[in-house]
Amino acid sequence: MDQVVATLLNTMSEQLGAMIAVLGAGIAAGFAGSGSAIGIAIADEAAAGVMTEDPGKFGLALLLLALPGTQGIYGLLAAFFAILKVGLLGGAAVKVTIWQGIGIFGSLMPIAIACYYSAVAQGKASAGAILLISKRPEEIGKAVILPAMVETYAVLALLLSIILMNSIKL
Amino acid sequence: MAQAESYGYTVARLRAMENRLLDSGAFQRMLDAEDLQGALKVLNETCYSSWLVEMKNEGAFDGAIEAELNYVYREIGQFVPDKALVTLCKMPYDFHNIKVLLKSSFLQKSGGARRWDLLTRLGNVSPEFLIESLESEDYRLLPFGLRSAVPQCLAQWEQFHDILEIERQLDDLLFSEMLKLAAKLERKGVVEWVRGRIDAENVRNLLRLRRMQVENTRIAGFLHEGGIISVERLLSLTGEPLESWGRLLAYTDLTGALSELQEIADFDRLIVDVEKSLDDYVLRVVEQTRFSSTSPEYVLYYLWLKEMEAKNVRIILVGKANGASRDVLRGLLRHVSG
Repeated sequence: MDQVVATLLNTMSEQLGAMIAVLGAGIAAGFAGSGSAIGIAIADEAAAGVMTEDPGKFGLALLLLALPGTQGIYGLLAAFFAILKVGLLGGAAVKVTIWQGIGIFGSLMPIAIACYYSAVAQGKASAGAILLISKRPEEIGKAVILPAMVETYAVLALLLSIILMNSIKL
Repeated sequence: MAQAESYGYTVARLRAMENRLLDSGAFQRMLDAEDLQGALKVLNETCYSSWLVEMKNEGAFDGAIEAELNYVYREIGQFVPDKALVTLCKMPYDFHNIKVLLKSSFLQKSGGARRWDLLTRLGNVSPEFLIESLESEDYRLLPFGLRSAVPQCLAQWEQFHDILEIERQLDDLLFSEMLKLAAKLERKGVVEWVRGRIDAENVRNLLRLRRMQVENTRIAGFLHEGGIISVERLLSLTGEPLESWGRLLAYTDLTGALSELQEIADFDRLIVDVEKSLDDYVLRVVEQTRFSSTSPEYVLYYLWLKEMEAKNVRIILVGKANGASRDVLRGLLRHVSG
């Protein structure tokens, strides 16, 4: 009996590190994706309102609607990096200690948190920009730049997450 | 009240609808028209065109203006998350209808003709229902406190024959009901807008009463409670020369509207100018909401712009029908462009 428990504990400790990293990857992709979904929904409402009166604005609105969607892609990208690092997507098996797993989990937090909030904020900014083009379609260039400013912080979070993940030696 | 976030669609749609409001160029072209026919021709190129084709004769443009306003109210009522915002804007029309019906009934009693042609379909309650209620003396289903106010007004008329007092009571009820409804919506901006309208009405009343040389002791009754500026403060103006009103109210946003009072040459002209400034003041109360993409107050802002547009169209068409000069008409136009 003692031997069975010892084997179980040993197996758990060998795999727990990888599982913590996987949990981090799930949270990163989940939060970033949720933020994007909310952000796009906010911008969608504004676009639907404008297009009810002026369907010709679809092309311009689509550009602004796509912006909050990028955070979801960043989250997915960071999650891929993490599961590649722990060898779950093919290649040689990698042994991940609990501390390394926690390290990977922590490195994914910037992307999870920043992408969630920046996507929601970018959705609001895009909604405002859609109102701008409803009145002044010729200002589409400026209208895209305004919500794109919010994107900066999602990109910085992605950068930091990748740097932190690379700094963990397996 | 619905969450502000649920106004994303509404505000965006209203923003797009704002593009269809008549701009200064359209008003200018109407003003430049030779006569009423020319002005109607310009109007026919705008969103009013679908109603103009239903006009029986050139003089029936009021029906087209009312139809356009009615269409906008109906349309917005279908997609705004809080229908009470539209109800709030339409409420003065219900009270207008009640006043018309009561006055018609008084006129009829003294052998005159009833003026149902002055009724409007812009109210929350249909004119037919109001007529039926008054004719059958069944006031139970009348909304906005009219259930008890109408029999009171009838009794008041029987006793004193004082139409001014009846109008005063109904206006008092209108503003208290508007405030009550605005408070239910739990939006500071909506309440402020109603309070701004009360201020505008109070200042308008003060000026009219001064023109009529009504004694200062009687003025208090014609001022409505609930405005941003207290009745006491407004009453203190009655003893002051008109030129100093703007200075005495310098701490309020009304001071801009009262700047017209600096140059008093013709009192009638002055009242017209101040009324125009007061309409702009009501717009300014909710003007900052146009910078938000989810502000419920934007519904009030848009509807007020639409009302002002209709007012401008009416001013120009009535002016053209009566041969008024272009400069006089231009001076009467309200601010419309958003």
